Amino acid sequence: MANVTVRPAPLARAGAGRFTRQERLAYKMLAPVLGAILVVVTYPFLLALLQSLQDAAGHEFVGLRNYVNALVNPLLYEALAATGIYASLVLPTEILLGLGFALLVHRTVRNSAWRALLFVMATIPLVLPPIAVGVIARLIYAPGYGVLNHLLIVTGVIRDEINWLGQPATAMPAVASVDIWQWTPFVYLVLFSGLLTVPREEIEAAQVDGASGWDQFWHIELNYLRPLLLLIVFFRLADVLRVFDHVFVLTGGGPGNTTQLLSLYLYRIEFKYFDSGQAAALAVMVLVGVSIAYSLVTRLLPVERR
Amino acid sequence: MRRRRHPWRILAIPIFAVIGILYAFPLYWLLATSLKSKAELYQATLTLYPQAPTLQPYVSVLVERGFWVLLRNSVVVCTLSVVIALILGLLITYPITRLEISPRVRVGILNWALSLRFLPPIAVVVPYFAVVRTLGLYDQPQALILIYSLLNLPFTIWMLKGFLSEIPRELEEAAFTDGAGRWTAFRLVLLPLAWPGLFAAAVIVFTFTWSEFLFALILTSTPNAQTFPVGVQGLVTQFEVIWNDMAAAGTIALALPLVLMVLARRYVIAGLTFGVVREK
Repeated sequence: MANVTVRPAPLARAGAGRFTRQERLAYKMLAPVLGAILVVVTYPFLLALLQSLQDAAGHEFVGLRNYVNALVNPLLYEALAATGIYASLVLPTEILLGLGFALLVHRTVRNSAWRALLFVMATIPLVLPPIAVGVIARLIYAPGYGVLNHLLIVTGVIRDEINWLGQPATAMPAVASVDIWQWTPFVYLVLFSGLLTVPREEIEAAQVDGASGWDQFWHIELNYLRPLLLLIVFFRLADVLRVFDHVFVLTGGGPGNTTQLLSLYLYRIEFKYFDSGQAAALAVMVLVGVSIAYSLVTRLLPVERR
Repeated sequence: MRRRRHPWRILAIPIFAVIGILYAFPLYWLLATSLKSKAELYQATLTLYPQAPTLQPYVSVLVERGFWVLLRNSVVVCTLSVVIALILGLLITYPITRLEISPRVRVGILNWALSLRFLPPIAVVVPYFAVVRTLGLYDQPQALILIYSLLNLPFTIWMLKGFLSEIPRELEEAAFTDGAGRWTAFRLVLLPLAWPGLFAAAVIVFTFTWSEFLFALILTSTPNAQTFPVGVQGLVTQFEVIWNDMAAAGTIALALPLVLMVLARRYVIAGLTFGVVREK
């Protein structure tokens, strides 16, 4: 294809057809790819829909029985509660810490090389495999070898080992701490970039008027951060439904079902109880629920709509 | 003004120190544990640094446990997924950024891609498990490659769209008036300019794919297709945990994205903040 052919200027409209030359080329490129993706995305969904209406062996239709089974299972509500607790531990902490750190760096670190360095370092936790981070957490919290107990005993804070992952009261915070460790830098990155978009004149004008650091944040900076905060809440809420890896290696959902988040619960229904009908019903409900939530919330997001 | 900033300054140093320790120590502890001998692990008191550093745990994991096969699977799966995701991504983003196309189609595709990003993988993996088994792709690397390219496509599309729309169209149009065809202009004008963006996307997608665990856990069962994270998980949940082996495996899993990120930091940072900050 290296030969050079002479073509008319691409912007010229081809008078005859409904589409311009460019549009025709665009659709020729897009159609096969998007078509293939559409099939690959929707076919499994339809299959799940079918599966959710059949018995586990896939031989006969059982109507909505799988859905009823899924909904009357008390474990589902435990999983939803655990997911809610996880989100309520993780989200506010990450946002407050990330926001605080973004403000702190923005106000105290003036040197752009240091800012760049902090920015690079903050990207690192985001690309670490959650499995490896789970391994680290295991090395810290586990009974026996866990270094946290060791440090607390050496410094005299506690006298006996605490079984961090083995008791309900500490297992959830331990699992949440891993999420906070890994994802607070994301909040920082987004909010710090947001702070850079605040026009300097506005801040200087406020300072001339004698505004305190708090006024500066509350009346000026927050206005620029608000859409980003919304975006963060949205992304992180969706991510709570994705959480699987580090919980799987840390507690496996235990002790009892305390840390059995929705994703782990679904895994268990399908791959431990082998109830594929119920799992499919759950998957369909989650997908439909998320899609509805998405279409409701997406209008609020600060992404391009042109 | 100077007085007002003062309290922040005093606070800043201890806070930076604490955060530094909170991030550095866990990573240090992983590395330190991975360098300890088995004898040292069973000592009565915990040692905070390896007394006689040894690479034995790495040998044990990669050779004796045969994890090098999983490592190879991971590299193959990730590389091919990145290539496919980039090709598909370009096929979608080229028309929507370089061609005159109805804005409704453009926004529709971008929003659709974004919405796919929000589907919880566990709800997706249940139906895919069934499909993969029917197609006879269970425990085959091909299944992972196809699924990973697809999973990373939304992100790739958004990132490439960001990079491509920054390159002025006039450059290609100049090539057209010189008689170049679309393909020639793409190859000789656009591609060299888009290269840093493609590279950034490749690195990020590679690290995401490298980290993926859920699909690999469910769709594979033997070293024929298992990826490295699945092996790591096997060391964690087995009955008796061998701490130094587990730490060595964790270090290997963590090292590759870390090194890639540090090497490619200039390109990647622009990419990670795309669609979040620039779109405002």
